[in-house]
Amino acid sequence: MSGTRRARSWAERAIRALLRAFPFDFRADHGRALEQTLRAQYREATERGGIRALFRLWAELLGDVVTTAPREHLAILKQDTAYALRALRRAPVFAASAVLTLALGMSATTGMLAIVNAVMWRPLTVARPDEIISISNRTGGNWVSYRDLQDYRAATRVLADAIGFAPRAASLNVDGAVERITIDLVTDNYFSMLGVGAAAGRVIQPEPGRPWIDDRVLVLAHSYWRSRFGSDPRVIGRTVRLNGTPFTVIGVASSRFRGTEPLLRAAAYAPAGTFDVFNAGYESTRSPFEDRTQRLFQVLARLNPGIAIAEARAELDVKAATLARDFPVTHKDVSLRILPETHTRPTPELGPFLWRAASAFAGLAALVLLITSANLANLLMARAAGRSREVALRSALGARRGRIVRQLVNESVVVAVLGGLVAIPIVVLAMQRLRAFVAGASAAFTLDPDFSVDANVVVVALGIAVSAGVVAGVAPALWVLRSDVADILRSAGRGVTTHIGGAVRSTLVVVQVALSLTLLVSGGLFVRSLERARAIDLGFDRNGLLLASAWPGLQRYDAAQRLAFYDRVRTRIAAMPGIETAAWIQFPPLGITGDTGAVAPDPRPSDPNWRPPIASKAVVSPEYFATAHIRIVDGRAFNDRDGVASAPVAIVNETLARMFWPDRSPVGRYLIADDARLEIVGVVQNGKYQNVAEAPLGAVFRPLAQIAPGFASIAVRTARSLADVGPDIRHAFTTVDPDVAAYDVRSMETHLDNGSAFFPFRLAAFMTSLFGGMGLLLASIGLYGMVAYHVGQRAKEFGVRMALGAGAADIIRGVLSQGGRFAAVGIGVGLVLSAGLAQLLQGLLLGVNPFDPVIYIVVAGFLTCVCLLASFIPARRATAVDPLVTLRAE
Amino acid sequence: MAHDARAQAFLPLTPPTLHTLVALADGDKHGYAIIKEVARRTEGAVRLSAGTLYAIIRRAEADGLIVETDERPDIALDDERRRYYRLTPLGRRVAAAEIGRLESIVEMARAKKLVPRPKSV
Repeated sequence: MSGTRRARSWAERAIRALLRAFPFDFRADHGRALEQTLRAQYREATERGGIRALFRLWAELLGDVVTTAPREHLAILKQDTAYALRALRRAPVFAASAVLTLALGMSATTGMLAIVNAVMWRPLTVARPDEIISISNRTGGNWVSYRDLQDYRAATRVLADAIGFAPRAASLNVDGAVERITIDLVTDNYFSMLGVGAAAGRVIQPEPGRPWIDDRVLVLAHSYWRSRFGSDPRVIGRTVRLNGTPFTVIGVASSRFRGTEPLLRAAAYAPAGTFDVFNAGYESTRSPFEDRTQRLFQVLARLNPGIAIAEARAELDVKAATLARDFPVTHKDVSLRILPETHTRPTPELGPFLWRAASAFAGLAALVLLITSANLANLLMARAAGRSREVALRSALGARRGRIVRQLVNESVVVAVLGGLVAIPIVVLAMQRLRAFVAGASAAFTLDPDFSVDANVVVVALGIAVSAGVVAGVAPALWVLRSDVADILRSAGRGVTTHIGGAVRSTLVVVQVALSLTLLVSGGLFVRSLERARAIDLGFDRNGLLLASAWPGLQRYDAAQRLAFYDRVRTRIAAMPGIETAAWIQFPPLGITGDTGAVAPDPRPSDPNWRPPIASKAVVSPEYFATAHIRIVDGRAFNDRDGVASAPVAIVNETLARMFWPDRSPVGRYLIADDARLEIVGVVQNGKYQNVAEAPLGAVFRPLAQIAPGFASIAVRTARSLADVGPDIRHAFTTVDPDVAAYDVRSMETHLDNGSAFFPFRLAAFMTSLFGGMGLLLASIGLYGMVAYHVGQRAKEFGVRMALGAGAADIIRGVLSQGGRFAAVGIGVGLVLSAGLAQLLQGLLLGVNPFDPVIYIVVAGFLTCVCLLASFIPARRATAVDPLVTLRAE
Repeated sequence: MAHDARAQAFLPLTPPTLHTLVALADGDKHGYAIIKEVARRTEGAVRLSAGTLYAIIRRAEADGLIVETDERPDIALDDERRRYYRLTPLGRRVAAAEIGRLESIVEMARAKKLVPRPKSV
């Protein structure tokens, strides 16, 4: 008997546990009845059916709970949401300010999400992107030679296949209209491995019996087909000219396919076998299909189904070790980096800059979101306090506490989600602008990150909004739960400012002020950094300089033709009215790309441990120093006699001269750079070359005529404006060769702003100021709301005091001092936080003391003024109260 | 049959809901009794689970189709904690409207000879 009783009590407990899956309200209304019904069913089953009937009952019961309970939860959520929406409609001012506050915070967060999504999350638009891994070299350049790629491809146990691709700038001529585009040179199996088909025509495919395809054919990217050819299907079969060579368009890639680099946008794809059309300035006699030292390809591979990346890594490491043994000279320390494709973004040569920037800004956005949450919590507290009588009444009338709390939290979540929804279109617009900005800043390739707001971003953003809503809604809800109903009812409409509620709200305001001060201080530090960066002596005169770039090497000119081109363009431009001088330089200083290399004096120092230092390298035409206003401190500038036929010469800067020949003039001595022995003919003043923060760096200049680079930029010194003279400069290029268009015609200021010189500082200053401004706006709204609320609560008290003879000034002083107290505590806490953050930012600042008292004082003073203003407005309103009216209401 | 707009607004009913309303048509019942009644009348073909039943009761109560009643058949015969439910006049109209809707479908099917007509009505 006792066994049966034990079984029954166990069953009762199990039934009660199962009932817990139902929503609170459901249990409260029907829990008892449901429990009883179950008990009756249980009794019947034990009495009549035995074990089988019991088993069936439990199975049914479980299935029942699993299907019914979630449906009930959903029904209640729907009901609560409708209730929250009705409540918000009744309080439009509260609703609007809460939703806008959230929208502000969420747009910062969602924007960062969109960027992080583009850079790090979004998979390639290929078949089964999770199988795609990246194979790159850790040493000696990131990329992989064609022969090495074929060896890795042979690891068929782990890899289904592997592809190589290489982006190349190219000049595309369609019926005389020339445009510079980015082409991806791809191995034959590129499309088949990725599982990408053609939207029209066909794609490049391996052909049996041919080791590789070298047909001059072109597959257009879908977006380029649309933008350049208006999606005209007749373009297939047409002949266009790439770098002067005819290519036949054979197809258009599928519209879903966005290429294999998330940040770059290729306009078209050509077989890797046509590389000779694109090898600007590249003079190797050996075919890159044979030569293992020509690491031209970025490599992606597809894992076999069920193979983990670690297995692939182990197997490919064996392949690499074999290569190291077979080719000791070129592959001695070959080491592979094998990662999921999404982990290798952005492309290796851009470095981790974007990734770091995205992480840093995500942190700032999180701070803004924190302030937003605090602000929302505060608004809700004020509302809960104002509604405390309604809540108390409902509670007294039998509404359950749990239900009331859930409704309050739900209301806050609804506000947060609405805020998120408002933020999304704002972010979509902002991201379109950012995309245009990034695309405009690029030089060599078409940078085109897809910052679009997709389902991932929306889902995560709404998830964050919901969490922010819950976090913000819990404080007021708990407060309602804790406060005593009778107390509230007794306080007769005065609302309640219980100590708990008041303390929480004050803390929230203090937190907001503190965080926005922190954001503003970091903004101030970066703005100062930018100022410092702009004030740095770059070693040349940046004012009145214009730049224009061209890539005549794409036309497959030989060295003499290139030099002739440069000379004719320069002569034309220099002869234009208002132009002082013009000169060529291969990489203008402080751009996104530059050139450095090891240099050594000849003879080398006798010390066996001596290693050649890295110096900046530049190739310039003779007029460059005069054009850029760079002083010659020793020897001479280049001249027309420093040509192909004469001995190779170089000019060095003072740093390099002092490094190699501390107490003698270097003129007439020799150094080794680029495997060439160069006679030094002059010394120029120091400058900044790779970035403005660099320590004094040695520099070697070589004459344009002795190098004849495939591309270069012309620097033009003129008093005329860019808008005025720009078209003439462009015209000078096309007059010399209609196939070579000038690109990036810009002022030196723009070049510096968008290059490595100032771009990181501008970006940091802009983002921190933007977020700081958002934080400030939110904090002042929060403080204003807080003070206004208190003033409202104390209206009667003010009325009495004024009736008793207190002046308006006394009242205002009282309210201001209250607001001032919050501000003072917030600023105090904020200063400590800022100092901590500044310590972390130290490495990113340029010539700015992270504890620069001026910045801290200015920001704190500014914030104080804003806080006082935010308190002054409600204070003024307090004095506008007519004492008689308030007293009569009593 | 007169068109009962208010009742029509609830249609169509789910089969378990209709069964629940029909079970209450001839007198007040508690939850367990409804489950048993439905099982008996359908010869075990429709087995309402307790969770489903109370979800239906909850909604039907909110919609005013049924009410909880205080009258007990006989305290001695019954567990006092049990709750009894009664069909409201609106509930009755809704059930009738649903039956009417089903009948018209059956009629249509018969006209198209999808199912045979019963020998005699």
